[in-house]
Amino acid sequence: MSAFVLRRLLLAVPTLFGVLIVAFLLLYVAPGDPVQAMVGERADSATIARLRQELRLNDPLPVQFGHYVAAIAKGDLGRSYITNRPIRKDIVERFPKTLQLAGAAMLLATVLGVTLGVLSARVPGGIIDRFGLGVAYLGISFPVYWVGLLLILLFAVTLHWLPPSGFGGLRYLALPALALGMRSIAFLARMTRSAMLDSLSADYVRTARAKGLRESIVVGRHALRNALIPIITVLGLDFGSYLTGSILTETIFSWPGIGRYVVNAIARRDLPAIQGSVLFLSAVFVLVNLLTDVAYAKADPRVSYG
Amino acid sequence: MRRRTGLLSALLLVACGGGGGSSRRTLIDSRDNYDPRSLDPALSTDVPTGRAVAYLFDGLTRFTPDARVIPSLATSWDVSPDGSVYTFHLRRGVAFTDGRPFVARQVLTSWKRVLDPKVKGGRGWPLYPIRGAKEFAAGTAKSIDGLAAPNDSTVVVTLKEPFAIFPKLLAMPVASIAPDSIPANFGENPVGTGPWKLVEWKHDDYLLFAANPKYWDGRPRSDSLEARIIAEPSTAVAEFESGNVDVLQVPQSEIRSWEEDVERRKLLVTTPSLELVYVAINTMRGPLRDVRVRQAINHSIDRAVLVRNLISGRGELAAGVIPPSLPGSDPTRKGYQFDTLRARQLLREAGYPNGIDVELWTSTNPIYVRIAETLQGYFQLSGIRAKIIQRESAAAREAARKGQTDLFVKDWYADYPDAENFLYPLLHGANKGVGGNVSYFGDARYDSLVTLARREQDETRRVALYRQADELAFESAPMVFLYFYSELNAIQPWLHGFVPPTIFNGQSWITVTKSVATH
Repeated sequence: MSAFVLRRLLLAVPTLFGVLIVAFLLLYVAPGDPVQAMVGERADSATIARLRQELRLNDPLPVQFGHYVAAIAKGDLGRSYITNRPIRKDIVERFPKTLQLAGAAMLLATVLGVTLGVLSARVPGGIIDRFGLGVAYLGISFPVYWVGLLLILLFAVTLHWLPPSGFGGLRYLALPALALGMRSIAFLARMTRSAMLDSLSADYVRTARAKGLRESIVVGRHALRNALIPIITVLGLDFGSYLTGSILTETIFSWPGIGRYVVNAIARRDLPAIQGSVLFLSAVFVLVNLLTDVAYAKADPRVSYG
Repeated sequence: MRRRTGLLSALLLVACGGGGGSSRRTLIDSRDNYDPRSLDPALSTDVPTGRAVAYLFDGLTRFTPDARVIPSLATSWDVSPDGSVYTFHLRRGVAFTDGRPFVARQVLTSWKRVLDPKVKGGRGWPLYPIRGAKEFAAGTAKSIDGLAAPNDSTVVVTLKEPFAIFPKLLAMPVASIAPDSIPANFGENPVGTGPWKLVEWKHDDYLLFAANPKYWDGRPRSDSLEARIIAEPSTAVAEFESGNVDVLQVPQSEIRSWEEDVERRKLLVTTPSLELVYVAINTMRGPLRDVRVRQAINHSIDRAVLVRNLISGRGELAAGVIPPSLPGSDPTRKGYQFDTLRARQLLREAGYPNGIDVELWTSTNPIYVRIAETLQGYFQLSGIRAKIIQRESAAAREAARKGQTDLFVKDWYADYPDAENFLYPLLHGANKGVGGNVSYFGDARYDSLVTLARREQDETRRVALYRQADELAFESAPMVFLYFYSELNAIQPWLHGFVPPTIFNGQSWITVTKSVATH
């Protein structure tokens, strides 16, 4: 197992290098001048030319790329063109907030989604199953910004139970986590339901029941454990995508996370900020995928990475 | 900590069934929709940054909410008869919030810092009128020739050439005065002489300020001020309706519902903002070189309908580039009338009996997209076939600056309240492309009128020159004159003394108070 993890970590290096190249090239192909965004609407061309020179934007692309990679190798993500703050500091400040939101959303998704799925599978076509189907339809078809605005309208503006937006304790986390987790809840509920239906009709479940095991143990230990692989897959993918910034949710709820940071950086053509955060977020994504693979082996002893 | 007050007021809200925000003491603003880039005045170019800098720092002059220029760190100034030497007499007894006294030398170091190529600012244009400033910024001169501080309370500024409105430029955030030694993280830990001190800055979340008890113009009447960063306009509305913020800029899409609501209508305040919404016509491209074609485009649209339907009537139709609230605008000038026959006739006279094809560029800003779509429909009636090209805003702006757009829907928001700030950047030949003149308008007579106006010391004569230049711009139609936007703010009933400013940094909340209910 540890050999597997090590190999995967080593493989991540070329992956991230590839990301670096693509991110770098894309930014130079995309129109929009970073220097113009720095200096604002009324700058003279001499100033712009001077800044381009100082920021080495006139160097040939491979040379610029070389400088950038050299800095990265030293662990330096550079400073923002716009704010002049170190990119690393910006990421360190924002990522934990995104992590908190993503974690809460995943927790909701796991608890609510899996529970709903398991209960639905116990009596297919029953009342819980039909309720679960309704929730799943709504959760998957409603866009997150719409759900977000409705939640704010209901729980904040009308009922005054929770604050509409901002960052703080649990009270501030509840609505955005629910809005963000909505899709995962719905998806997981359906996924769990079908995986559970498969395993509930399997021979080993019949055997377990024949042994006289209690139903909760049959469902919880025998059936659910075997249904875990697809559930983990969905959880891993969703978690990875939430961690790389849930832009709409963060924007609607004024959540100061990494998603808004990246969007602002892109709008202002803040090259070092975009490159630094893309690199960091790719690393996070690779790591989450690796953890998902490790979790497969934990959940199912038949999976082994030799 | 601050969230505890939120919790408290929410509980009270539930208990009292309304009247939120009444127990909160901190003033809370919701108008910033993105994080300031820095609190270092030298890096200031955008509105959230400019607002915050105005709370923390003072310039030699400042703007009132209704956009007059009044003395600030300078108590008065003398101008030499030829208009090129300004002697500023500085306020005595002023101190920075860290206790250091304010002296003339700091005016020099602050401005030098803004212009210093090593600071990589590049935002120094408001100081370029100073003799030697541009050379210093370009790195070709070691010092700024036109700056001197003969004693601690006097600054003598020599301009390259007379520039009558120079004191207005000194009220811009970038010309604010900072102490003489600046630490590397000054943008996060600013020290100024302003009415407020920074307590805390949570990026993308909020900035919290505390009153500067020793402010030279009297301590702010409230203890603390918070500027929340709320990216989504609907969220700002929800915060306002929950009583969590005191001031709201009503989003354009919600104006009608606010105006029609009997209760909410009472909270509204209209401010003539200095924002021109227009369509730049590139006067160097194809048929657009002909003034008759440009006039035809102006005649082909019904702006009254556009303003009524797209922005709920919250705009004054433009007949020139000078906002009606600024001296130099001519209230008697009639704008281009909607007249498709006239438009077609002008096109025929210009040699285009079959109409013309143009590209109409816009950013992805929803309001501009809708304007573009509306214009496209009107254009068709007069034989102007427009193809809409929608690009993300940085890309669209870059194309316009490079002269690659035929028509480009955009706006211009004043840096300082003066007609010059519209006439010069938008249409003067010296500013083609990057300087702001994306119409690539170059008219010798216009240029000389604007240049003369900039030099003219006598206000009456200067305003007359502004008016002539504006008239010429109007006739030459280097743009489709759309409207000047009137901003709509909502202010909570418990807030007192808040006047929404005409210019973004014209309200420092010094005399603003909030009634606090005791329960």
